[in-house]
Amino acid sequence: MVRLLLALLTAALLAPVASAQLAPAGERHIAIDLVAESDRPAPGSEVTLALVSKPDAGWHGYWKNPGDAGIETTLAWTLPAGVTAGPLEYPVPHRLLIGGLMNYVYQGPFTQFVTLGIPAGLAPGTALPIKVRADYLVCTNEICVPETRELETRLTVGDGAIDPARRADFDRWRAAMPKPLGSPARYAVADGMFRIAIPWPADAAAADPYFFPLAASGPSFSAPQTVRRAGDLLILETSAQGAGPPRIEGVLSVGDGNGFALTAMPGAVPAGDAPQTAGFDVALALTAFAGAVLGGLLLNIMPCVFPILSLKALSLARAGEDAGAARAEGLAYTAGAILACAALGGVLLLLRAGGEAVGWAFQLTDPRIILVLLLLVTAIALNLAGVFELPAPGAVNRLSARGSGGAFATGALAAFVATPCTGPFMGAALGTALVLPWWAAMLVFAGLGLGLALPFLAIGLSPALRRRLPRPGPWMERFRHILSVPMFLTALALAWVLGRQAGVDGMTLGLAAALLLALALWWTGSRQTRGSSRAWVPGAAAGALALAAIVLVERAPADAAPRVAALGAQPFTEATLARMQGEGRPVFAYFTADWCVTCKVNEKTAIETAAVAEAFKSGGVQVLVGDWTDGNPELGRFIEKHNRAGVPLYLWYAPGSATPQVLPQLLTTSMLTRLPAPQAAAVGG
Amino acid sequence: MKAKHWMLPGLAAIAAFALPATVPLAAQQTTGQKAGNFALTDMNGRTVRLSDFKGKTVVLEWHNPGCPFVKKHYDSGNMQKTQAAAVAGGAVWLTINSGAPGKQGHMAPAEARSLFAEQKLRSTNYLLDPKGVVGKGYGAKTTPHLYVIDPQGTLVYQGGIDDKPTANVADIASARNHVTAALGELKAGRPVSQAETRPYGCSVKYPEVA
Repeated sequence: MVRLLLALLTAALLAPVASAQLAPAGERHIAIDLVAESDRPAPGSEVTLALVSKPDAGWHGYWKNPGDAGIETTLAWTLPAGVTAGPLEYPVPHRLLIGGLMNYVYQGPFTQFVTLGIPAGLAPGTALPIKVRADYLVCTNEICVPETRELETRLTVGDGAIDPARRADFDRWRAAMPKPLGSPARYAVADGMFRIAIPWPADAAAADPYFFPLAASGPSFSAPQTVRRAGDLLILETSAQGAGPPRIEGVLSVGDGNGFALTAMPGAVPAGDAPQTAGFDVALALTAFAGAVLGGLLLNIMPCVFPILSLKALSLARAGEDAGAARAEGLAYTAGAILACAALGGVLLLLRAGGEAVGWAFQLTDPRIILVLLLLVTAIALNLAGVFELPAPGAVNRLSARGSGGAFATGALAAFVATPCTGPFMGAALGTALVLPWWAAMLVFAGLGLGLALPFLAIGLSPALRRRLPRPGPWMERFRHILSVPMFLTALALAWVLGRQAGVDGMTLGLAAALLLALALWWTGSRQTRGSSRAWVPGAAAGALALAAIVLVERAPADAAPRVAALGAQPFTEATLARMQGEGRPVFAYFTADWCVTCKVNEKTAIETAAVAEAFKSGGVQVLVGDWTDGNPELGRFIEKHNRAGVPLYLWYAPGSATPQVLPQLLTTSMLTRLPAPQAAAVGG
Repeated sequence: MKAKHWMLPGLAAIAAFALPATVPLAAQQTTGQKAGNFALTDMNGRTVRLSDFKGKTVVLEWHNPGCPFVKKHYDSGNMQKTQAAAVAGGAVWLTINSGAPGKQGHMAPAEARSLFAEQKLRSTNYLLDPKGVVGKGYGAKTTPHLYVIDPQGTLVYQGGIDDKPTANVADIASARNHVTAALGELKAGRPVSQAETRPYGCSVKYPEVA
């Protein structure tokens, strides 16, 4: 016992000393390994050496052209006689603008290559000690440190065999190197502008293309580059910096770390079409637009939107035959829906540009917005139920009021609450939108709004349609009361989402706020029936008080243990998926979020049914669940890879198939039970 | 996916600077044209204007005491020696700090005064440009970054201190000091043979939101 205590004491005393020794004064900020593709290169052959570099967090290394400041890496070799070292080859760099100065850098791990030539005629077994001194610069956004280090490795002349694991590493590192473009580019400098025409297929995508010049003269490093297309040319334009040398070498980066090495000579550069921010396909944009309109149209039958639409239709029916007013209301509602969709889409694009992993309905991941919606929907439901009537003033309060202002607000509201009801066509359309140039993406978002507004617009514009609406009468009041039911259900769903996001306390707070609002509106209603001139005073006060609950709502800490649904499902990770595929098991992966009504419907009606459980069990199907409720960025990236901007997303990985089958966003039991069938048949046969 | 073959890294910079007239580099001030006037507060709180030195050759040097490339030339005494020779030859040498407050190398006047004394700077004056206005006006990108303005006010040189873009003190001996060369050519009445070179060093620590 005493001995144990002594040992512990000694360990405690020694620990600080040991850690102090681990951080010597000359600590380096990039770890570099020198790795040869083959440790036993054949005589008369070439072998690639890799300088595998890992900058510390917050530090970056430099490309060959460091940009406005910095220096490139220099190598001084000590090689056995006859062995030659080629130039240092760099992977595709990144841009880092600090204080208006451009740095071409690597902010994460990066690997440079050098090709060694092994002379012919060396006897197998000959030792080849390789030594190199590397001088390089490593910086944070604030400070720079030039570092020097000696690296060495020992090769032995042999048969050139390559270890499979090392081959995989080199494959990965090579993928980060720029590929040769093959055909030369042309550049021109005129009127202070540098323009370069790079051969690039008209139908090939290029995400955020950027030309990294190796020359110190030609394009400015720090000025932004605008992108145009002209047939099979990609035209980049930026400020000039000097007249440009006879040839400019450089790397065109086209997103996802892909780059192409090219050489540009002076020559004519066509004007090109309107500037673009990304590769673009008109047909794709039109298809996405059509999909968005259709998706928006379908949203009208969703439980959260239908009452709003019905309400507006009723108010038009009430308007009778006044064609002018009906048209104005229809147009205002359309404008409201389109603008709200475009605004949400704009915010989505801005967040995307800022690097956030967000998808459609992102605004519903914030419990405060859920609370506001809960109160709003509660008020609408109470209004539909006839508890109180709405007076003329107020923006959203004029829900059932006539006039284009109220119609505009209603359209905007419909679009806002409709977003969680991601319809079957919407996911695909929005997924497309995110890879389109911003203006085309906005067109898609606007299309969604247009689709949402279409039925009401049609009623507003067509007197014939309006005449087919039922005659106004006492039945309308009753219909309105019935419509309050789906609205109350929506409120219930929102309360549940709030509970998921903000915990029991948050949900209770939300329900208390809703109750307070309901009582106040009831009071308002009774004052209204008495004809009180200030009927709204208690309602407004309580409404403000209820809204004040926003400050108190906080996101509850995420569940430590991931939710595991029925069916023996496991939480989705790409590693788990790979493991399951490796085991040859069929995998059904689904992505859901608590704020996604369609997801919940699919889960209740199709996924979590006895028939599916039975079919999946007998087929040996592994179910993986990705819960995107809190906007997990890894899941966001995975979901986006399948061209969807949100959930639900259903993927079926047949055994031995690397690429999944993307299932429709509206599932049926039979659709799911059929999935493992080929597998079962194969087993049976 | 064999990548392109660039020049041998060690030779690249040398090759670039060995080209006659070198590759012109862009800047906010055009070589061969009148250098823009400016007014800055010096380390003693006095206002100094470029126009104060009409009729004299003026050297501008961008400085950041924390930058290892600046240290290379100060710790070795190379920069002080170059300054002393320039001033002895009748030139005015203005060392300018464009580091923004809170960033590396930024100095208050008192700090600048003590650094000036400690490191035995031989420049005529030390000017503070914490907002980076003059630095950006001259397109100063690195520390060090040097400019030579002739007695007529024409910008005749802009670029690096020498042609060895490293942080290694040992490289100074074999390097061509562009400033000394330009001042010598100016004195001899000859055009500056290398009027623009590529500066090297740390980035100037300008304030963010450019």
